[in-house]
Amino acid sequence: MSFPNPTTSVKLVLLGEAAVGKSSLVLRFVSNEFQENKEPTIGAAFLTQKCTIGSKVIKYEIWDTAGQERFASLAPMYYRNAQAAIVVYDITKPASFIKARHWVKELHEQASKDITIALVGNKYDLVKNDSGEEDDSENSLRKVSIEEGQNLADEEGILFFETSAKDGFNVNEVFIGIGNHIPESNNNSNNPLGGNSNGNNEGRIDLTSNANNINRSGGGECAC
Amino acid sequence: MAFLDTIRERAVSTLNQVLDRKPTNGLSKDEIFCRDYNLPDSEIIVHESSAEVSISSENSKEAYRNELLPQGKIYLTDHFLVFSDSYDRNNCSFTLHLSSVKKVERSQNSDYAFALTITTYSKISITIYLVGIRSESERFAQTLKITLKRNLVNNKKLQPFIQTCYSEYLLAKNKVSNEKIEHMPAGGLGLVFKFPGNPKEQRDKSKMKLWFDLFRIDGRNLSLIKTPMFYKLIRVGLPNRLRGEIWELCCGSIYLRFQNQNEYHKILEDNKNRTSFSIDEIEKDLNRSLPEYAAYQTPEGISRLRNVLTAYSWKNPEVGYCQAMNIVVAALLIYMSEEQAFWSLNLLVDKIVPGYYSKTMYGTLLDQKVFESLVQTTMPLLWDHITKNDIQLSVVSLPWFLSLYLSSMPLVFAFRILDVFFLQGPKTLFQVALAVLKINGEQLLQTEDDGSFISIIKDYFQELDQSAHPTSPNPKYKSITKFQELLVTAFKEFSNITSETIETHRRKHRDGIFQNISTFVKRTELRNLPKTNNIDNETLSIIYDRFYSIVQSDVTVGTGSNFMDFRAFRLFMAETCDWVQPNIKNDKSQDVFLNHLFAQWDIEGQRSLSLSNLIIGLNKIIDPDLMTSMSNFFQLYDYKNTGRLDREGILQVSEDLLNITSAWKDGVLLDSLTETAIENAVADEVYKAQASKEDGKDEVIQLPSEVNIDKEKFAALQSERYLQAASGFIQRAFEYAQPEEEEILIKDLAIDDSIAHNAALNPNTPVFVNLPTFRMVVLADETYELFFSQTFRTSFHLDKPLNSKFDTMRNLRGMFDGLLADGLKVAHKVRQRMDSAASSALNPIINSDNSSLKSTNRLRVQDDYEEERDDDLGVISIDEDLLQSSESQAVEKVKKKTEAQTETEKKSGVKYDQSGDSNLIDFDLS
Repeated sequence: MSFPNPTTSVKLVLLGEAAVGKSSLVLRFVSNEFQENKEPTIGAAFLTQKCTIGSKVIKYEIWDTAGQERFASLAPMYYRNAQAAIVVYDITKPASFIKARHWVKELHEQASKDITIALVGNKYDLVKNDSGEEDDSENSLRKVSIEEGQNLADEEGILFFETSAKDGFNVNEVFIGIGNHIPESNNNSNNPLGGNSNGNNEGRIDLTSNANNINRSGGGECAC
Repeated sequence: MAFLDTIRERAVSTLNQVLDRKPTNGLSKDEIFCRDYNLPDSEIIVHESSAEVSISSENSKEAYRNELLPQGKIYLTDHFLVFSDSYDRNNCSFTLHLSSVKKVERSQNSDYAFALTITTYSKISITIYLVGIRSESERFAQTLKITLKRNLVNNKKLQPFIQTCYSEYLLAKNKVSNEKIEHMPAGGLGLVFKFPGNPKEQRDKSKMKLWFDLFRIDGRNLSLIKTPMFYKLIRVGLPNRLRGEIWELCCGSIYLRFQNQNEYHKILEDNKNRTSFSIDEIEKDLNRSLPEYAAYQTPEGISRLRNVLTAYSWKNPEVGYCQAMNIVVAALLIYMSEEQAFWSLNLLVDKIVPGYYSKTMYGTLLDQKVFESLVQTTMPLLWDHITKNDIQLSVVSLPWFLSLYLSSMPLVFAFRILDVFFLQGPKTLFQVALAVLKINGEQLLQTEDDGSFISIIKDYFQELDQSAHPTSPNPKYKSITKFQELLVTAFKEFSNITSETIETHRRKHRDGIFQNISTFVKRTELRNLPKTNNIDNETLSIIYDRFYSIVQSDVTVGTGSNFMDFRAFRLFMAETCDWVQPNIKNDKSQDVFLNHLFAQWDIEGQRSLSLSNLIIGLNKIIDPDLMTSMSNFFQLYDYKNTGRLDREGILQVSEDLLNITSAWKDGVLLDSLTETAIENAVADEVYKAQASKEDGKDEVIQLPSEVNIDKEKFAALQSERYLQAASGFIQRAFEYAQPEEEEILIKDLAIDDSIAHNAALNPNTPVFVNLPTFRMVVLADETYELFFSQTFRTSFHLDKPLNSKFDTMRNLRGMFDGLLADGLKVAHKVRQRMDSAASSALNPIINSDNSSLKSTNRLRVQDDYEEERDDDLGVISIDEDLLQSSESQAVEKVKKKTEAQTETEKKSGVKYDQSGDSNLIDFDLS
């Protein structure tokens, strides 16, 4: 393996209410899979994935946290030193959006100052009708409008996406968007070994193989 | 009764928390004993004695032929007879449930002075040779007799219970016992969906045979004698069909199941159609619990899982449901019936790993800290490496503990660890975790980040079935698996990690962890509170602390209530508001208003206030804007949001105002009118004294240590003012109240004014006061106006520190002391007087009189006021400070409004009289 550009490591943490699809988003991003009944995450799961964005190669070290309310007291353990965070909610569950708002605030107050945060409304597949377009009828399962999400993101100055981990819609864009947004200096300072350790790490982590589908969309612009 | 129950429950739970925080130090002897022998909490030692025992079994007379009889202690509790070898508990111990005792006789042929022979239903006879003086032994026998008699009621539970034990079924099927076991007892899902792993590889059959022999000789379940063989058989791994029963026997949940035989089904039945937050959370995870195991792809398996988890959430709502419990229960249910799993889960969550699954998961966090410090002491090299590279160990190990390794390693191995865990308790989790690090130490020392650290261990767990020494030429050596190596390392090398070690470390770190959690919980809750423009963040933090100190919940443990009942609310108000009497007995009248406030703030109508309810309410009631403050008060009585208060409402408002202000009326509190008056009086005194002494050139104003002011006079004046305000309020409120049926009123206007009478005064006429009228009525009286603009608001001391003593209300005496101690205000006033005296000397044209310009103004204003309102308000004096503010303008406006309104009132009154003649007459007559 040889990348022309140095690899930088980015510690990314996923936060959000239980069963909004945090683990599924990661699974989609890391191995392009979807699992219907995933076991709930106990504490946190750790995965890595490389991603080429323009001229940089970013190695995401992803901490996927447990979503149940009471696990919140463990969260500081996971977002400590994180350079990026994805706060996920379920667009069909208003309560999960309220929770997302709290997480964003918590991160702004407690996490590293220059953390890059993306707000993600997941389960877009649930509001699509058979022809693949968004169901505008009254029966639509959508409970959190795209504007509400966007407004929160604007208020807090963070990125915003709507995704579907189930069909893969917009998932890679989240990670690309974050990659584009991460301050350059941040990448190197936090991991002095980032530049040359990629060779060592190769093959160690079980889920590093699927980088190619990211590379295809590599160089894409931040979606917002 | 319910109230008393709540109090008692709360007391017990608080007590438990306290005990939980101080293990061993705070535990009674009985509690330590129960914990030591895994007995239910409530057992109390009724007698104990030194003893030697000899044991024989009908099934094998040969079994206990060793000459040396086990020596130790025998304990009698309410329901158990417990023996333990003093030299080595593993050599011989037993915990007999008294219900399993069939016969007790005094032994005849014995060298010992005193011996009792006990025969159990499982045909084991135990001879107990009591050591000690004869009278004590006699007493033991006597007590045993009485206790057995008392326990007779439980004996009928034995037969049905035996039917549920696989051990009994096994013996009966092989015709070793005479018990009639008709059906195979309910067991785990594995009986139907196969047990994980290969039974042949696990040598399940031969293990079963060994246990069969053990049961024959040593008894089983409630009457088992624990010998070294028992422990040995557990360490080699339990056979599938017996696993559940041995687990519950080891941890003691079998006793809970025996004693509470119908409870599980009753809980499910009683809560059949109820829903709860926990149940929603459980439902989310049912399909996500060991989904690869066949049973959990069927309704049967899912339903058992649901039953056990929901039953537990009802049994212990403070814990409810925590993710990871689903995995633990799913695992238990492979080997256990629902009822067995339910009681084991109870014991697990409450006793074995307390706080792991609580609302704050304090136990989990604590044990991670304990684990880290154990790594530090046992593997300093690795620990240095971990800290140097900033690897967060607890992130790696937390899931091992929380899911008891069930989500970390292949199930067959995790179950082997559970076998030991149920026998030896939580130290097992630590021993295994340390062994994992130790075995992988070399490799771990090469890693530099969490990621590779985790993946080394992840890989290791997946390779547990492989040879630990794949390259060894010695086949015996080669056949040792990594899992076997792990067990040996864990239980041999780390055998020095005892339960006491764990307890010591837990005690050491407990406070730090609790501190972290409470900071986190508080931060989160404060952030989630609604925005309050009248309460700043610091005050919110104090209110938060006070709230939780009053509702007595333990936020760190995650127990207790998050809601205030009325009693707690009252306490809160008494601590923070000047006008609330701390003692309920003294004054019930305030409670009418407090009850009202409580009901209005309780938006969800659940007869309790959340912190957020309280904050929203307080924020409104202390609004500094006069108009908002009045309208907020008005809204408290406008239940239906009609913008109107009816007759009842008006009466209630005036009565409540009277009650709230009673502290001022009684002269216990002073409002700023009185304060200013007193200050002025003091200033006058000082000025006089100063003027007589000095010729005005000395700039230093000296306050005397005592001023001769008639304190009672001011209190009396204030009292009168409040009484007048109250009577004025009700009078005016009804004077300006409008009749309900406005349409009628418009009809006739030309009625003679002489019979005009305010319809509102007729008790049969429905009338109302709307917000503008209410405001007008309040503003018509300076005391009440001041009350809403300042007095009421400043009587709240929400930012008073929690630990400060309840400060006695600012009474007259305190007020005077304060005046003189502070002195600034008075000094300022004296200075004003001196200045104005000086300026009047310079400008005799303006005012030659000794009294100041301002006081003239004051008089004039007062005159105007009285001119306009000849209906007498009992105005004493209007301070210039007050009238200079915008409030005086407000008064002016209102007065105009009043006049306008009065006009319409008069007219409407006339109209009404027309339509309701008889009423009017009735009223007049009365």
